[in-house]
Amino acid sequence: MSATLSATAQSPAPAPRGETVVEFKELWKSYSGRAVLAGVNLQIQRGEVLCILGPSGTGKSVALRHINGLTRPDSGDVRIFGESIVGHSEEELSPVRRRLAMLFQGGALFDSMSVEDNIAFPVREHTEKTPQEIAAIVAEKLTLVGLPGIQRKMPSELSGGMRKRVALARSIALEPEIILYDEPTTGLDPVSSEKIAQLMVSVNERLQTTSVVVTHDIVAARTAADRVVFLHQGLFQFIGTFDEAASSEHPVLMEYFRAMGFPCGTGVFQAAPKGV
Amino acid sequence: MAPPEPSATAIFYRNLGWLRFVDRFGRKGSHIVEYVGGLAEMIGEAIAGCVTRPFYAGEMLRQMDELGVKSLSITGITAFVTGGVLALQTAYSLEAFGGKMFVGRVVSLSLVRELGPILTALMVAGRVGSGITAEIGSMTVTEQVDALRSMAISPVRRLVVPRLLAILIMMPVLTAIADMLGILGGLAIAILEIRMTFQDYFSSILQQLQISDICSGLSKTFFFGFEIAAIGCFNGLQVEGGAAAVGHATTRTVVLASICILVSDFFLTKLFLAI
Repeated sequence: MSATLSATAQSPAPAPRGETVVEFKELWKSYSGRAVLAGVNLQIQRGEVLCILGPSGTGKSVALRHINGLTRPDSGDVRIFGESIVGHSEEELSPVRRRLAMLFQGGALFDSMSVEDNIAFPVREHTEKTPQEIAAIVAEKLTLVGLPGIQRKMPSELSGGMRKRVALARSIALEPEIILYDEPTTGLDPVSSEKIAQLMVSVNERLQTTSVVVTHDIVAARTAADRVVFLHQGLFQFIGTFDEAASSEHPVLMEYFRAMGFPCGTGVFQAAPKGV
Repeated sequence: MAPPEPSATAIFYRNLGWLRFVDRFGRKGSHIVEYVGGLAEMIGEAIAGCVTRPFYAGEMLRQMDELGVKSLSITGITAFVTGGVLALQTAYSLEAFGGKMFVGRVVSLSLVRELGPILTALMVAGRVGSGITAEIGSMTVTEQVDALRSMAISPVRRLVVPRLLAILIMMPVLTAIADMLGILGGLAIAILEIRMTFQDYFSSILQQLQISDICSGLSKTFFFGFEIAAIGCFNGLQVEGGAAAVGHATTRTVVLASICILVSDFFLTKLFLAI
């Protein structure tokens, strides 16, 4: 573990838990004249797992991609670790991005590289570690995501769930302070989804990270989230704990929970849905 | 009685066709400006990436093999056959003037100054340019390029620079080999069909061919290679959508790179003739 921790030894010392690490201020983003984010405000605290819920196509991923500067806002401010990143060039974003990691919807593993090279890639790029140290980091991260010994496999040989877990291993290779998850359970069966959700929680606890999870999977949100926000029509219609969301009488939220198989506002949501 | 003045609405509808034309023209123009601006920005970043760290030497060597060595067969066959055809056509055209003895010099000059570089570039544009766009385009649509950016790694430095340098190094090599194979193709036809001797064919070449001819031909290839790599990479990075978008981008690369090669060849030829 000491070897992996030294990978981030040069990063600034993490601020205390509870400090605001991500902040959206009056964030606007439109595509083809349609406001996907219409002046949203949000604060994410260090150490929490925050799930952004909402129907497909409402702009959840767009909101997530603002955090690491992959998408630029039309107006408003995005502050990461207290620093505004709006208007930063790709080069200026580098120091912030090194403290963040992102798990993409399809994993985004590099097809031409083995599992080992995929996980080692950010470590080789940003540190001066020896091959032995890198191999140890790869083995440790693979064990952490429950896939020990698959270093030599190619991404094409992996199932969807395995690809996501390898992608998660790659994301945590440099032990980031914030992990962004874009639909981590999409396309997975309920059992694999639950495993990924539990993995997010355990990674968050073991590595002391902050997690922002975009999902429409309520089961995963229930397992992982400290707080949920519900994005609808360009606005965060609800911000609170999962229990508060499930017992909310907000009409759109109730309809969403009901459509996902969780009768809202009745307490029945506590029961696991069919098939889990 | 004078006819009533047409209303503003009537004037608008009368000119609607024109307005649509201007609108379409303007949109097309802005797309072209946007494309050229983006391409120039990428080229600027790539040039900076060629001279500043980090360097991806291993990746560049892999690309030299992938883009260069593996293109040898297609460029070699093309040049060999073209040399043969050129010898046949020359012998046929100049037969009445007793021009059989000029076959070697016509074949060699045509190949070394013009056909070798241009045919090699067109073949490489077809094979390598499309391959680059397809590979980078697939990486773009599967979010691998975004993954690089999210890891604070520049896609231009990681993906574009190694390919650009690999093509710049390999294009003159491929062209030189193509020139030699073309001359050999001409030799084969000269001996088998035109009944020339080996000595006649080569003495005809050596009498005419100058070092400056070879330099002018090979110099062009740097420009052609640059165009192929830049257009191929940029189109790949610009892909939005799915597999169909990758296909369209690939086609666009081959068309655009081929046009750029042919147009720039004209100006480069003029330039080298003037020097």
